[in-house]
Amino acid sequence: MAEVVLKDIRKEFGTFVALERLNVAINAGEFVALLGPSGCGKSTTLRMLAGLDFPTAGEISIDGRVVNDVAPGKRDIAMVFQSYALYPHMTVAQNIAYPLKKRGVARPERDAAVAKTATLLQLEPLLNRKPRQLSGGQQQRVALGRALVREPKVFLLDEPLSNLDAKLRSYMRAELIELHRRIGKTMVYVTHDQLEAMTMADRIAVMHDGRLQQFDEPEIIYNQPANRFVAGFIGTPSMNQLEGAIAGSSFVINGEQVPINRALYEQALKDGPVVLGIRPENVSLSGGSLPATVRLVENAGHEQIVTVEIPGGHRLLAREASGQRPSVGQTCQIGFDADFIHLFQPGENGSRFETTGQAHVIPMQAQRSASDES
Amino acid sequence: MATAAHAGHRLERRYARLGVFLIAPTIVVFSLVIVYPLLAAIYLSFFSVYTPTLEGEFTGADNYIRLLTNAAFWNSLITTLIWTVGTLSLQIVFGVGMALLLHQNLWFRSLARSLVLFPYFVSTVVAVLVWRWLFNDLYGAINHGLMQLGIMDMPLDWLGTMPNAMIGVILVGAWKYFPFVVIAVLARLQTIPEHLYEAAKIDGAGPIARFFDVTLPQLRSVLVVIILLRAIWDFKEFDLIYLLTGGGPVTSTQTLSLLVYQEAFALNEMGQAAAYSIGMMLVMLVFMLVYIRRTAREA
Ligand SMILES: Nc1ncnc2c1ncn2[C@@H]1O[C@H](COP(=O)(O)OP(=O)(O)OP(=O)(O)O)[C@@H](O)[C@H]1O
Ligand SMILES: [Mg+2]
Repeated sequence: MAEVVLKDIRKEFGTFVALERLNVAINAGEFVALLGPSGCGKSTTLRMLAGLDFPTAGEISIDGRVVNDVAPGKRDIAMVFQSYALYPHMTVAQNIAYPLKKRGVARPERDAAVAKTATLLQLEPLLNRKPRQLSGGQQQRVALGRALVREPKVFLLDEPLSNLDAKLRSYMRAELIELHRRIGKTMVYVTHDQLEAMTMADRIAVMHDGRLQQFDEPEIIYNQPANRFVAGFIGTPSMNQLEGAIAGSSFVINGEQVPINRALYEQALKDGPVVLGIRPENVSLSGGSLPATVRLVENAGHEQIVTVEIPGGHRLLAREASGQRPSVGQTCQIGFDADFIHLFQPGENGSRFETTGQAHVIPMQAQRSASDES
Repeated sequence: MATAAHAGHRLERRYARLGVFLIAPTIVVFSLVIVYPLLAAIYLSFFSVYTPTLEGEFTGADNYIRLLTNAAFWNSLITTLIWTVGTLSLQIVFGVGMALLLHQNLWFRSLARSLVLFPYFVSTVVAVLVWRWLFNDLYGAINHGLMQLGIMDMPLDWLGTMPNAMIGVILVGAWKYFPFVVIAVLARLQTIPEHLYEAAKIDGAGPIARFFDVTLPQLRSVLVVIILLRAIWDFKEFDLIYLLTGGGPVTSTQTLSLLVYQEAFALNEMGQAAAYSIGMMLVMLVFMLVYIRRTAREA
């Protein structure tokens, strides 16, 4: 059963349209990431779920109840702010107890709930401190505690890890995954970090310019991106995109032919302009048919990212295991792994030609380690 | 390395000398206008001085003994405390209330924000003349208005009888100085992070709970400073009360400042006046110590 439903949401700030035709249905217990570049409307979406902002049009429901006119405190949601928003004059214990206090929970039960939450988040030694006496990670845990203590239906988290350093961030990421597994509550998690989204979420909603681009599981988002934006946004380094055309059974760019799978060009229907997408890990520097010149080699230790230039001045990235080092200026014949070629409609954000039965399954493991490099 | 450290040391000494040089003018002026009069007052307080000639003889602690044994100082101190507590409370209540109002998104906000400063900027003499006219028992607008409304049927002598005179002085003081509270509180209100209010909303706090749990704790530090500053200024307020009631009726609104003035320039007892002002300063020193202790504990 869908627990959180956004139906035809539109949000305007004055004349600026921040969100348009947004439709999302989130299942009970699901961990959903809202992912997109800065300014795409992630926070706005979350704030409308929380009741801190109101949609210009459309309907929001939580647990089957339309909540458009329900105050934030009565929506059975809890929110963790990017800035934590802890009450500075209250101790950690008072901060965590506050939502219960405002709901008229009696003192003994409140204390018990705080103690339970503190144990869960390992906050016991900090209960009597004030927020300013805590580190960023500790404050973050207190903010989580204040959300958890009440056992709401839905958790809303707005970039909760963005203020932390890399090490603490990966630690808290693991903590959050573990926490979600344990309490099994619905979580909506805003982030602009694809690694967070890929590793934590059951499903990812990719947003761009106030519109939902794709809402699916991480594997599918990675392997079958809905359009050029998603293809370019997910994965580091991002997918190569070449503008060319279909002629016969090949993709043609600057007179050079790239063979593609039959299933794929059948979907592309007819001869004409298309965009070819290929991830750097599926580009090989030898044995192909496309002449290219090496322009840059970036060595990252266990692998290297090679920039090559093909006739016409297009540049492509290839990911190569370290070993033999291509030298700058060297010419080669690059090739694409045909199973991993995507075709997109031309245009700024052309959508992808769907293929049926295409062998596009990368084991999750390989794919996660691929996105780990960011 | 050693030479670098040496050079750094020399540079530090040069900075220190420059610092002394730069604050020297302040110290000189400070000594002339604050330290000298203070020492002079302490000196004078041990003499019986005739104000017009500033001549007199050493009388030891006589002035202080009179201060302690006569009722004048103590009555005046009580009057001063009533005035200070009364007017300060009203200033805080109206000031905070007005600041909260002006912090809302009202369409007339910017106009109202400038208008509210008016009492603070208008000269005390002008303000008091207007208020005296308003308070006048024969042709004053306040009596006229209250009678029109049927709230009273006889004109009231506002500034000539007690407790009306004290109430009048306190009200005018509150009117004159509450804008100071408004400005300071408004400035602080604008720095309270919006996220705190949003978090409180999600935690189920209504508007009143948000005021007490978010706004007020955030205002605490600024309120402590405002109360201290205003307490000191109100405690030694002179012109407003002097112009409004002159300390009357009889001595019922005669605060310590007015007492000192009367002693020095009406009774020509400069020595006694100096002793009173030293006494007044000691009372204010108590305020100061309380405040310093508080802030030290909080830090
Ligand atoms: N109160 C507001 N008034 C006007 N425009 C707003 C307001 N709030 C947000 N916007 C605009 O709406 C768009 C979406 O904002 P939003 O805060 O949702 O972005 P975001 O996806 O959370 O970005 P970020 O990753 O930077 O936090 C932005 O272009 C922003 O400028
Ligand atoms: Mg945001």
